[in-house]
Amino acid sequence: MADFFLQALGQVSSPAVLALIIIGVLFGIIGGSIPGFTVTMAILVVFPFTFAMDPVSGVSLMVGVFVGGYSGGIVSGVMLGIPGTPSSITTVYDGYPMAQKGEPGRALGIGVAASFIGTLISVAVLVFFGPLIASFSMNFRPWEITALIVFALTLVAGLSNGALLKGLLAAALGLLITTVGYDRNSNLRFDFGLPALGSGFEILPVMIGIFAFSQLMGNLEKLRDDQGKVKGVDTNVSIPYRRIFKDMAGQKLNTLRSSLIGSLVGALPGTGGTVANFISYDQAKKFSRQPETFGTGTPSGIVASEASNSAVAGGAFVPTLALGIPGDLPMAIMMGVLILHGITPGPLMFEQNPVLVGAIYASLLIGAVIMVLCQLLLVRWFAKISLIPQEVLVPVVLMLCAIGSYALNNNLFDIWVLFVFGVIGYLLWKAEVPLTPLILGVVLGNNLERQLFRALELDDSWLTFLTRPLSALFLALAVASVIFSLYQDRKIQRNRQQAQRSDAGAD
Amino acid sequence: MLTLTKDRALALVLLLIVAVMWVESGNIRPPTSWQPYGSALFPRILLVVTGLLSLLILARSLIAGPGTSDAPRRSFIQWLAHNRTVFSLFALFGLYAALLPLVGYIVATLAFLVSSLGLLLGIDSRRKWIINLAVSFTLVPLVFVIFRYGLNVWLP
Repeated sequence: MADFFLQALGQVSSPAVLALIIIGVLFGIIGGSIPGFTVTMAILVVFPFTFAMDPVSGVSLMVGVFVGGYSGGIVSGVMLGIPGTPSSITTVYDGYPMAQKGEPGRALGIGVAASFIGTLISVAVLVFFGPLIASFSMNFRPWEITALIVFALTLVAGLSNGALLKGLLAAALGLLITTVGYDRNSNLRFDFGLPALGSGFEILPVMIGIFAFSQLMGNLEKLRDDQGKVKGVDTNVSIPYRRIFKDMAGQKLNTLRSSLIGSLVGALPGTGGTVANFISYDQAKKFSRQPETFGTGTPSGIVASEASNSAVAGGAFVPTLALGIPGDLPMAIMMGVLILHGITPGPLMFEQNPVLVGAIYASLLIGAVIMVLCQLLLVRWFAKISLIPQEVLVPVVLMLCAIGSYALNNNLFDIWVLFVFGVIGYLLWKAEVPLTPLILGVVLGNNLERQLFRALELDDSWLTFLTRPLSALFLALAVASVIFSLYQDRKIQRNRQQAQRSDAGAD
Repeated sequence: MLTLTKDRALALVLLLIVAVMWVESGNIRPPTSWQPYGSALFPRILLVVTGLLSLLILARSLIAGPGTSDAPRRSFIQWLAHNRTVFSLFALFGLYAALLPLVGYIVATLAFLVSSLGLLLGIDSRRKWIINLAVSFTLVPLVFVIFRYGLNVWLP
């Protein structure tokens, strides 16, 4: 593997690929720093630009966006008090108060340093656990893979806060979308007499339509509701390097713990940066000798938040590369990029595409270095860019989404697919249906059907799914995740009813 | 009288879609000796799951009543009026998709950007017009050059 890594490092270090990583990191930071834009949206906008690139260049650009995006949320979090991405919510708790005390540069510097270390530690986790899990999963047969996909979908659906039924419904809808067009036996399904539907829906316009439209239209609605609440911001920032070194020297354990939490949580399906962010902030507070300082502008809070959310990047690659199962939305899109370039993520990837795997490692490392340099040198500009109004951003992103969808196959029908799924995504979002399980269903649908029927062709008994230990374990975990979510749903409902009752009592 | 809540509307629409797709699944080639499970089995499993989940959502919403949301209740027309900016933007995007093959990328995209920026930013001041035109006339040729010459992608 070391040979392949060096070979990949050579390719990634070429000026053209380095330039792409720099562009990716810059765009990621900008995307992450604009409130409401999110890492996922940044990845979706950049995705079409990789179509004409070779796999290493395309993946390097996307990894750059990834690394930049996860660290970008700190800019608006500290400067505006608004998290740029959901995964930097707890950054605001201490970053903003510190900035309000006249130390925005210190808050940003600590956050960037923690992000950098978090990314490095997560790459180490990926390098160590990725091949390990991949070699273990080489023993998986169609029964295990089918059960694992079912488990991943139920887990993601179950994590849709208080909406298990809708989460499961979304996953089923996502899978259903993949049944349109010719199937594995070249039989036509659900074309409704339209020749354009014969080849089914491309994943990209469906994903962009469902996610981007609901997100952008949601931003517009929020803008309408928040009118008049815009606050001014001073973007003059200077970074006190010596102070930051001193701060970070006192945060070794916190940084390591938060980075490991981020890597671990990132590797679990359906969790992602937001969950990692809250868990590591909570743990940092519990382990702290001065828990009362959390929320008032303590470096520990910023370190816990930023180290964990940046560590998610490396951790999230583990199940995607090793099992072919993306854990969260950005990874689902990343998997789409790999599939588009003819690479099937999964256990065989480490054997069949070792250079590409090495390129992902190398891009993560180089991206982390570039991220630190960009953040420290250009933070003032990022703060200014984060003020771009949504009214300008939304039409521009919609236009880029349309062109990106078209560029996939030079097919205008894909723009209509984008539009139709945009409307569907928006309406589902209005009906409070979680969209992540839907997108995961779209990404995993074809593989689920292929593996299910391969299993049945090898052994026509459905009971085999329960008699093979690992397959039975995954299915039992799927059932357990549903039961746990039902319990959580009831608890949330009970708390809500109690709160309503106490409100009524107070009135 | 029963009120059409979000959940009820969602469940009813999905049940309708499931019914239509179930009927359509009858047109899928039936199983053969070398394809014993046929191509309709997988989508039918998903249709059954979707239908059952929709029924559960419908039943739950009927048992729970119309709900006690903080948001003010609106009629369909009021809801459309409240979200008119969003629906206008959807309409503009649909128009853009229709215009692209007819007038080409440059004209269609310029029209879409100018009109949608006008819709969202407003057109009541000179400054807004300057931002609108500057963004539109910079981005449209820039994206064209990147895709056409940088990425070798032909735009319509």
